[in-house]
Amino acid sequence: MDLESLKEKFYRLVAPSLPNEWDVEEALSPLADNDSTCLDEIFAQIPAIWPVSHSLCFAYLSAAGPALCYLAVDELSLWVHTLLDRYETGGLRGAQLFMADVEQQFARQLRGQGGLRLTNVRPRLQPYVNGLAGRELPLLGAAEAATDSEVIFLPSEIALFTEQEENFLLYKLMASFQWASLAAGVFAAPPLLKLHRKSAHPLDCFFSEFDRPDDARRLFHLLETGRVLAFLRQELPGLMRAAAPLLPRLPLSGDEAAALNVLDRMQRGLLRGDWPADGHSPLVDRALALLRHSVGQAADNRASLEAVRELMVLLAPDEHLAATAPLIFQGTLRLQEMRNLGMKRQADKELRMMQSATVSLPVVRRPADAGAQSGNEGGQQGHDAALITEMEQAWEQLTPFMQSQALQISIDDMPQPPADPSRDHGQTRVTGQTTSATGGTAGPAMARTPHAGRKKGQEMTEPVVYDEWDYRRKGFRKKWCVVNERELPPVQNTFIEQTLKQYRGQIRRLRHQFELLQTGERFVRRQREGNDIDFDALVESVTDNVAGLPPSDRLFIRLARDHRDIAVTFLVDMSNSTSGWVGQSIKEALVLICEAMEVLNDRYAIYGFSGMRRLRCEIFPVKRLDERYSRTVRQRISAIGPREYTRMAPAIRHMTSLFAQVEARIRLLIVLSDGKPEDYDDYKGEYAIEDTRHALLEAKAKGIHPFCITIDRQAHEYMAHMYGEVNYIFIDKIKQLPARMSEIYRTLTS
Amino acid sequence: MSGRQMRIDEYRIEEEPYYLPTGDELAIAEAAYGDGSPLLLKGPTGCGKTRFMQYLAWRLQRPLVTVSCHDDLSTSDLVGRYLIRAGEAVWTDGPLTMAVRAGAICYLDEIVEARKDTTVVIHPLADDRRQLPIEKRGELLTAPPEFMLAVSYNPGYQSVLKDLKASTRQRFIALSFDYPSPDKEIEIVRREGHLEPELARSLVKLAGMTRGLKDSGLPEGASTRLLIQTGKLIGRGIPVKTACRAAISEALTDDRELLAALDEMVSSLF
Repeated sequence: MDLESLKEKFYRLVAPSLPNEWDVEEALSPLADNDSTCLDEIFAQIPAIWPVSHSLCFAYLSAAGPALCYLAVDELSLWVHTLLDRYETGGLRGAQLFMADVEQQFARQLRGQGGLRLTNVRPRLQPYVNGLAGRELPLLGAAEAATDSEVIFLPSEIALFTEQEENFLLYKLMASFQWASLAAGVFAAPPLLKLHRKSAHPLDCFFSEFDRPDDARRLFHLLETGRVLAFLRQELPGLMRAAAPLLPRLPLSGDEAAALNVLDRMQRGLLRGDWPADGHSPLVDRALALLRHSVGQAADNRASLEAVRELMVLLAPDEHLAATAPLIFQGTLRLQEMRNLGMKRQADKELRMMQSATVSLPVVRRPADAGAQSGNEGGQQGHDAALITEMEQAWEQLTPFMQSQALQISIDDMPQPPADPSRDHGQTRVTGQTTSATGGTAGPAMARTPHAGRKKGQEMTEPVVYDEWDYRRKGFRKKWCVVNERELPPVQNTFIEQTLKQYRGQIRRLRHQFELLQTGERFVRRQREGNDIDFDALVESVTDNVAGLPPSDRLFIRLARDHRDIAVTFLVDMSNSTSGWVGQSIKEALVLICEAMEVLNDRYAIYGFSGMRRLRCEIFPVKRLDERYSRTVRQRISAIGPREYTRMAPAIRHMTSLFAQVEARIRLLIVLSDGKPEDYDDYKGEYAIEDTRHALLEAKAKGIHPFCITIDRQAHEYMAHMYGEVNYIFIDKIKQLPARMSEIYRTLTS
Repeated sequence: MSGRQMRIDEYRIEEEPYYLPTGDELAIAEAAYGDGSPLLLKGPTGCGKTRFMQYLAWRLQRPLVTVSCHDDLSTSDLVGRYLIRAGEAVWTDGPLTMAVRAGAICYLDEIVEARKDTTVVIHPLADDRRQLPIEKRGELLTAPPEFMLAVSYNPGYQSVLKDLKASTRQRFIALSFDYPSPDKEIEIVRREGHLEPELARSLVKLAGMTRGLKDSGLPEGASTRLLIQTGKLIGRGIPVKTACRAAISEALTDDRELLAALDEMVSSLF
């Protein structure tokens, strides 16, 4: 096939996109030599890849030809499936690496020759590790096992044993060992340790006291390994029993015939129980004795540190330990990364403390309180002076680090200049541009502010203006945000069809489940008329009669259908960060929920939101409450795509005001988001979270139940604060979103 | 309901139920009792709410009338109705009326499961009036000082339809229950499940692990009650891992991956 017809075919597949012709030619030219069966198969994958990433699609086209040297034609779709998985987890770089080595990365697994991959064991191992740690401790692929206290790194593949069960056991041992290192306090800073450098891990400072710090570190890590294994034997006896036959078969460095160094001997002792009698060298004898007795029973790492001091004296100057590789489950120490993370956590904590401290200081930063300023100047000054003294005293008690942090904050938190007097007289100023959401220079927003850089999509209604909550002054910035409803131009492509096809089975199941919700039939007793006699009521009526009371005539049972009377709005985050798989899954989730909702009588609406700065908050109606789930709505769902920023609160306020016109027993607002609220200007951090929280409180006060579905890993830090403990859910695997969302809706409303 | 009028004495708790206090809940409950205030117990399933009520009733030497609420529970199920007996219409007290008359403790378990129109019947009883109107008989019962009303619910439910109305919940002294601290939980599981301390410790450890899995798809972890049930299975000769699988893993989830992860925890611990 010649290049021209390939190009034509390509453009047909990716319509309505019109990629650069030059890129297309470059990607397609190597393919021209392939036969038509191969080409058909290669091109058949394009609709799956193109919507995910255009760059990935071009990279795929370049790599597909060479890949077919290793793969049969019918294996290509499986390869692409794995490729998309890799792209999702490792980005374009990960996908390129995957494509570069078809044989190692894919073909071997396919032929069953590979080992066990982390991606395959993660679904099972991740909840296990989370359970052990009692918190989210993600498992990530790396060259060697390690932990930086927030993540456990494990090799991407283990092919040490022929039995996959044994490979799995080794994975489990590695993960448990890394968790145990954290739990047993291997990395704890011992007391009385001199800190040379503040930015270094205390243990690194300790090792640098020796002339060969790396050897000291190796000795320490192995001694601690002995202690951690003892800890594991106590905490997870079942695991250690199962792993016992495995340990002696793990690879060891060092040549038995040649002289073994002290680390080699210690490793043999730990794994094989090979404790030779005394009589080697004083160093080896002492090291083995320490490892067996004192360290194995110690409660913290102090004994190991003492042991390192003792052993380093005995270590001959010409004896080097670098040749000995660490045990496979032991991995490497990532002390510096741990220290960096620790410092970051500490800084965040101090920052938060400082912020709450400065926020709670009263009065001075309330310029809006103009009456107090003009009417009572003297009193105000006296108050300020007292406050300044107080602040200075507090300042001196802070650590230098906190002072530096506080300095940054105090600039942001400077008292704002008094409000523009013209504002009070009903005059308006033209406020075409302002860069800051929180700075004091901006005036009130005006509904008809002209926009620079208008996006495609027509404005549909008059812009609406909303207040914004400023937590620092505990009041609203009046008329601060301008919300425009904009039309989402419907897009015609294969997305809907493919989604419907891909989730065929699931949709059928969902519809069935939702039907069960719908037919909430129940018997209503004591009716004047109905399908059956209510025996209880009849007996009661007779007894009433006998007792001389007027008997009731409500003697029937009627089968009543429960009227659900629920109105729900799905508010979809269309910020820039939702590109790729995230946006794709959100869209699929919307299609699924729409398909399922069609069997219910619940009224539902879908809106997207994005925007940039307070004057251009944009709402994209996908489906209004009273609109039918029509072809246009589906095409609008296809058109949902990443746009700009996440100024969440104005969108929530807009939804609240739309809901105000809706009569329903239950009004539900479900927000789908991938992260914190954030805008281009200063709208971020605590300010944004507090504003969003306030918008949600306003919604709740109006009888709307907000609920959030998030995929942000850091969600716990702020979600519970914003939505309340039980009103959000974090979805770990974005691919599960379509299935989980319908499930969540079902739970919420039944 | 059987035609026979239940005798209130059947609700007396003769033997001391085992209960290990976890905080000052007893002091608060006894003070509320002295004051005539009703109690609201909230907490996850199987953490000891019902056992606490039994213990409290035993301490106060009052009968305990428990009603498990469901969405078909009507007002007359609580208050009472006329029944025909030997050609005569006889009034039969419902559990709530019976408890009020006898000065007992009436405990409405899982109150959110009851329909909202049913729960309003307790309103006049739950404030300082302490009255129960019986419309059918034209009677207005005033509760004696010994009477106490207690309700429970599990705030972990995420359904917006199952929340307690503010007008209901603001009548109660609320006690928040959670799973006991590990040491106390070990002691409870050991005693109730008749287990060796070591085994009880491992079971509690397992429960702790399952409770950290909210994000992985397990909304509620293993409760103390499940641990005790597991212990009892083990006591009857079921192997530990099988007992854990039957009484904990399978009871918690149907998800295959989660089941596998729970199995890994069990096999690591035992």
